[in-house]
Amino acid sequence: MVMDPQIENSIRQEQIESLGRLIAGFSHDMKNHLGVIRESSGLMGDLLSMGGIDTNEVQQNRLQKSIATIEKRVVTAAEMLHHLSGLAHRSDAPLSSFQLNDLIVEESIFLKRFANMGQIDFTLKLQEGLPFIYNDPSLLQHVIYRLYRGCLDTIEAGGRLQISTISCDDSITMTFQAEGSAKSESVESISQSTLSAIKKLHGDFSSTMSANGLETFQLKITSVEERK
Amino acid sequence: MTKTKLLIIDDEVEFASTLSQRLKLRSIDATDVHSGREGLDILEEIKPGIVILDLKMPDISGIDVLTAIKSFDPTIEVIMLTGHGSAGSGIEAMEKGAFDYIMKPVDLKELLDKIKTATDKRNHTQG
Repeated sequence: MVMDPQIENSIRQEQIESLGRLIAGFSHDMKNHLGVIRESSGLMGDLLSMGGIDTNEVQQNRLQKSIATIEKRVVTAAEMLHHLSGLAHRSDAPLSSFQLNDLIVEESIFLKRFANMGQIDFTLKLQEGLPFIYNDPSLLQHVIYRLYRGCLDTIEAGGRLQISTISCDDSITMTFQAEGSAKSESVESISQSTLSAIKKLHGDFSSTMSANGLETFQLKITSVEERK
Repeated sequence: MTKTKLLIIDDEVEFASTLSQRLKLRSIDATDVHSGREGLDILEEIKPGIVILDLKMPDISGIDVLTAIKSFDPTIEVIMLTGHGSAGSGIEAMEKGAFDYIMKPVDLKELLDKIKTATDKRNHTQG
């Protein structure tokens, strides 16, 4: 069935929005579960340290250690959920004013996992005090993910990948810089649909290849107040 | 810390009751209820100085409960509990009269600091 591109576009937009709301709801519920776990383990810790539970010193130490592990993992999980929730809420509105660095930081929590799996050192170098940009944050998340994967998939284990931001005049440039050795097998280049998404963001994309075959991607986004 | 009458309103029963027990262990006179309606019904009876209030509850929204608490007694300090991904909802609650907000899962030390500050403010206001 051939569908009007405009209708297809709005279905896709609604689909992203629904997914965002579902994930935001999920992370909200998960925070409630973590809240109960944290308070319950905290209460056990309180009772142990206040002498409410009769145990010998060895058992006391074991239990305190387990409680400390629970606390540590709850904090990590809560931080991840916090970013997941932020990430999901980005699709609440098709266009909004936001800080590019905030968007990168919340997405990078999840991007880091892919770098870890490939034994790649992933870092951020974000310029402080960037101007706000008015754009489609959800689409930009998608483009960041595609460029990140496009870059990451070319690097051999032991290499490095850095995302940096810098502002110049009325625009912000985001650079995906790969370092190390390039993988010998060929990797799919940035797809036409990602390039179309960049076009929709009114972004300028460029790619340069180093002598060892690693690519650096640059995406320039205009930091205008509001696009009419 | 000054003996504080504190009311926890959160539909997460296990969370509210465990938090209440932990506060009692620290000599805070805490009571927990598990819906916005229950919270409003018990105000007259316990006359809390501080309320810890969940922002999202099934029966009445935290913001509506906050408004009702403030019209019952504007000197009650309300600390909102939020599970949102951004600080936006907490800030919105503060604009509507909440003393402060705290993200879930709660860091007890942070909560105790906020309770102390809220208590000091209330004591200062009441002379």
